[in-house]
Amino acid sequence: MDWIKHLLEYLGGEKDIPPAGFPLTLNSYWWGIWWGLLACAILIFCGQSSKFIYIDF
Amino acid sequence: MIFNTLIYYFLFLLPAAGLFRVVKSDWRPLVCIVAGSGFFLYFSITQFGGYFGAACLLMFVWESLFSRLYKKGSIFCLIGVAQAVIFLFIFKYWNFFTGLAFHFSDENPLHWSSIFLPLGISFFTFEFIHYAVDRYKGTTEAGRLRDYLAFILFFPTMVAGPIKRYQDFLPNLLHPSTDFTLDWNRGITRILSGMIKKFAVADVLTSLTNHLNHADIAVAPRWVLIIWIVAYGIHIYFDFSGYSDIAIGSARLFGITVKENFNWPYLQTNIADFWACWHMTLYRWLIDYIFIPLGGSRVSPIMIYRNVMITMAFSGLWHGAGLNFVVWGLWHGALLCGHRLWRTWRDPLPAETSLGGRLAGWALTFTLVTLGWAFFCMDIQTALFFFQRLLIG
Repeated sequence: MDWIKHLLEYLGGEKDIPPAGFPLTLNSYWWGIWWGLLACAILIFCGQSSKFIYIDF
Repeated sequence: MIFNTLIYYFLFLLPAAGLFRVVKSDWRPLVCIVAGSGFFLYFSITQFGGYFGAACLLMFVWESLFSRLYKKGSIFCLIGVAQAVIFLFIFKYWNFFTGLAFHFSDENPLHWSSIFLPLGISFFTFEFIHYAVDRYKGTTEAGRLRDYLAFILFFPTMVAGPIKRYQDFLPNLLHPSTDFTLDWNRGITRILSGMIKKFAVADVLTSLTNHLNHADIAVAPRWVLIIWIVAYGIHIYFDFSGYSDIAIGSARLFGITVKENFNWPYLQTNIADFWACWHMTLYRWLIDYIFIPLGGSRVSPIMIYRNVMITMAFSGLWHGAGLNFVVWGLWHGALLCGHRLWRTWRDPLPAETSLGGRLAGWALTFTLVTLGWAFFCMDIQTALFFFQRLLIG
């Protein structure tokens, strides 16, 4: 469980280094592809609503 | 809004973060001050009170000048706390409290119909209070005027936190990270993942959470009510942790590290751990500036429970000017007291050492936290109706 949490935090930008035993070295190309995938998902889902709950509450 | 506008990224974040990286160290606070002022003025004029909202920038100017009077043990620190509370009270709670006072009259003669909420007031006033109290106690240095202005006007965290501490921020401001490649890699990744949380999860769930109103609750079967309230719990987590990701990622582009706000709260196995992992910078603030001044844990057991309840009631009221938020805070206060009582009775907890015990603890914590959201997202009457429909049918 901790390994999965660490991996998700690494892929999400929270952790600077991957978890021990992570098989890949993510170079700039990998991050470019990862950002592209995230950007595509954002484009698919954006524009639905809504303000952030914690702003101007 | 704001964090999901292109204006934020292309007019404010990228130019300011880029400039912050290339100017001499003495100019870095100035970049934060100019960018933060521009940010506050622009979004106030367009979304938060118009030109009157923009005029609230004077609060930052006043606070920064007044803060130069702060010294260890000085009365000016206490005045500083009082004026921050007054700022917050006037803009956020005036109509709420005067409305309570005139509850039985036909009309509240003190109602301020054109009131507006200045951008980020719930958060920046907490940073004002923190600085005044810590200067009073002598636990933070005064710093230069421009450094303090940069602290309170640092726009990635100005709107909704994470709530910063001056003693954490100042070293970052004076000596930011110089690993540009790593910072921008991590910062951009963090911003994108925050947007995913917001757009692909939180916003999608609004199709379920929008049903949490009296009319829909009246006709929905019980299992649907459960889905709606669970969806709200997931929605608010992904919404606010997504926001925090964007704020922390934005700060990272400057080379500035901001404290985390969430650490897998829904995986925690008791309510105390939940609060240690949920909106962490707020919880830490409440502990340091409400709970401990009340006496904290160094008083009799009864007084500890009182302090917990007062702290969490205050937390609820801070989340919104409504009685339902107070009830939500008291709900969590009661859960924390119950947990403390349990720990006193059964310490250490044998259940927490076994997998079955941890699963049971997780299920109970998740259920109670989820049910508590009913008071957060609905007024008291609707929330009670929700529980009536959920429990009785």
